[in-house]
Amino acid sequence: MAPVNLSHRRTHNLLLISKLLSSRDTASPLTLVQDSLEQPATPLYKEYIRRAKLSKVHVTLIAFETLKQPEGVDCFVSTRRKSPADISKEVSAVASENPTRRRLILIDSINPLLSSKKSDPSFYLPSFLGSFIAPASPAAKVDASLVVTYHQDVPEPQQQSPYSPSPISVLTYLATSIITLHSFSHILAQKAARDRSLAPPVFGLDEEQEGVLLGRLDKLAGTGSVEGIVIELEHRRKSGRGVLEWYLLPPASRYSPQHLKEVVTLLDDNVLYNPPMARHIGPEDEEPTSTFELGLTDRQRRDREGVVLPYFDAQQGNGPGEGGRILYDMGEEDDFDEEEDEI
Amino acid sequence: MPSQPPLPPLLAPYVTLLPESSLTLASSILGATSNWLVLRFLHAALSSPSLNPAFGADETQTGIKKKVVLVSFLRSFDFWKTEAKRLGLDLGRLAEKQQFAFIDGLSELFYAPDASTPNTSPAGLGSSPRTTLPLRSPPGVMPGRGPPPAAAPPRGNISVTRAQAEPGIAKKLHFTGRGLAALDLIEKNIIAVIEQQKSSVEEIDELVLILDQPDLLLAATGPTMGIGATEIAEWVTGLQQHAHATVLTLATDAPLIHNASVSAGQPATPIETEHATFAIGLAHRARSVMQLRTLETGAAKDVSGVLRISRGGGWSAGEEESWEEKEVLYFIQRDGGVSVFGRGES
Repeated sequence: MAPVNLSHRRTHNLLLISKLLSSRDTASPLTLVQDSLEQPATPLYKEYIRRAKLSKVHVTLIAFETLKQPEGVDCFVSTRRKSPADISKEVSAVASENPTRRRLILIDSINPLLSSKKSDPSFYLPSFLGSFIAPASPAAKVDASLVVTYHQDVPEPQQQSPYSPSPISVLTYLATSIITLHSFSHILAQKAARDRSLAPPVFGLDEEQEGVLLGRLDKLAGTGSVEGIVIELEHRRKSGRGVLEWYLLPPASRYSPQHLKEVVTLLDDNVLYNPPMARHIGPEDEEPTSTFELGLTDRQRRDREGVVLPYFDAQQGNGPGEGGRILYDMGEEDDFDEEEDEI
Repeated sequence: MPSQPPLPPLLAPYVTLLPESSLTLASSILGATSNWLVLRFLHAALSSPSLNPAFGADETQTGIKKKVVLVSFLRSFDFWKTEAKRLGLDLGRLAEKQQFAFIDGLSELFYAPDASTPNTSPAGLGSSPRTTLPLRSPPGVMPGRGPPPAAAPPRGNISVTRAQAEPGIAKKLHFTGRGLAALDLIEKNIIAVIEQQKSSVEEIDELVLILDQPDLLLAATGPTMGIGATEIAEWVTGLQQHAHATVLTLATDAPLIHNASVSAGQPATPIETEHATFAIGLAHRARSVMQLRTLETGAAKDVSGVLRISRGGGWSAGEEESWEEKEVLYFIQRDGGVSVFGRGES
């Protein structure tokens, strides 16, 4: 991808993430959030709910893992011992009860559904997800956004049919935006290693150390500077053009719940990730320091440019140099050497 | 090494303050078992505050009476009784006071004694709405795994004997039938004990449910019986709804977690896939995860293992900021006492 101007990215891509997180204009009907134990999606969901509350969007949470209704959620749909058909029926019932135009539907984890053993022959993932955002009757124009979390570190269930694509390929194919979450401290550690041409470190399950599920240890949390989530966003525009951007979402304690201005920043704008020192090294500043004056004054430069070097003379052939001979004007202080070759 | 109180001060905040409807996951490996940690949870909940004045958090907790229901799938009641006695807890007496209940998931899980006469029809099981068996998983998908022999006789029913003969054991679990129906029955039995505990004597503030190694259920049944990670996780959810806080122990040995990952490069067996799905899924739901493992550098004379306490995926950002993630070493002494200390300390 061609390097896009940073200020251009700042305006356009920040507007984009703001639109996505506030579920404005149905910018992304289906957002796939890929999280891991190292960076769970919980803070991002909090942010979704916070923004939905600010703009009076109706929030439905389809809970595969969450036990009790989180704050700010208007409708909590428990999925325990329910078939996918029941779930979508319940959600559409909620939709008809609340004819609010804009709705946000969150699924806290799609993995239990995918690895469920009571395989329903009629269960088909695209139509299940589609039933939430595209209601059966075309007359009811609902502006709904669906956000689905997929835990990347949970092993993929064994395929029922060897020819069908894996659920995650289906999800990434369907999604209009794909958000992958990273922990900011890990991103910094990996960048520091890359800057030294070292292999980037791995954390948690990737360490493959026996007995370790989570590698996260917030030793640096005390400084407060490395907290936050790194959001890797891939957005597919309606035109088909893709946008790739990395953002940083600061921890929720850093701003008030009523904060209206955009809190997300570009990762490249972060001073820890991209220290300002590195940006200002230009060709002018590269002068080595020494006790000698290596520069030239204007007069010296003019004189230097005025010097006609012998080989220019030689090319003319008829000038005073007569073909490149070196002419030497004896000065007063010069001592003529008899034995020197003829000049 | 200086002797520490039954509840080591470094550990105390993590085992005593369990917020409402929270899940605490304690993961263990073969070389670093979680029994001592379960005992510390028991002690934190059951011991009267005057017993350990060294620990300050109890002062804020006076008045709150905790009850514990311990469901153990790998250890018998005798084991827990003996071990708890070394900490100064008399589980038998606490059971009489209805402050503690033990549910035995080990001794008769797959073995129904002939003495008990089971009622015959599943419909006779009260208000359970699920009277039909769930769909079978298609045959041939999970090869190389037969049903466990002990579970083979399909009685179609569960029989629960109130174990009057063995004091202290509230219930013995039996696994009969298959799939969700069997799980539902186990769940009903556990909930019955929980409700009984809740209703008894004065009103209680908190009931802590400890599930010890429920991954046995998954390992012993598996996809051929219609039970997978999702089903067991739902089963845990159902139990969680009835308890104030839940503590769950689980094995996270490397083959059970890492063989199923993509990087393993070989097809995983069903038990590896299901166990990893279950364990990682629970870690996503848990508020805190306490991971036990052995020292990377090998065995040591004065260190038994490493305990890493991390926030799980279910941690909500608004919670108390003072709770910090930690990695400490622990040493189990010969008398059963445990000292917990930071690296480089003793």
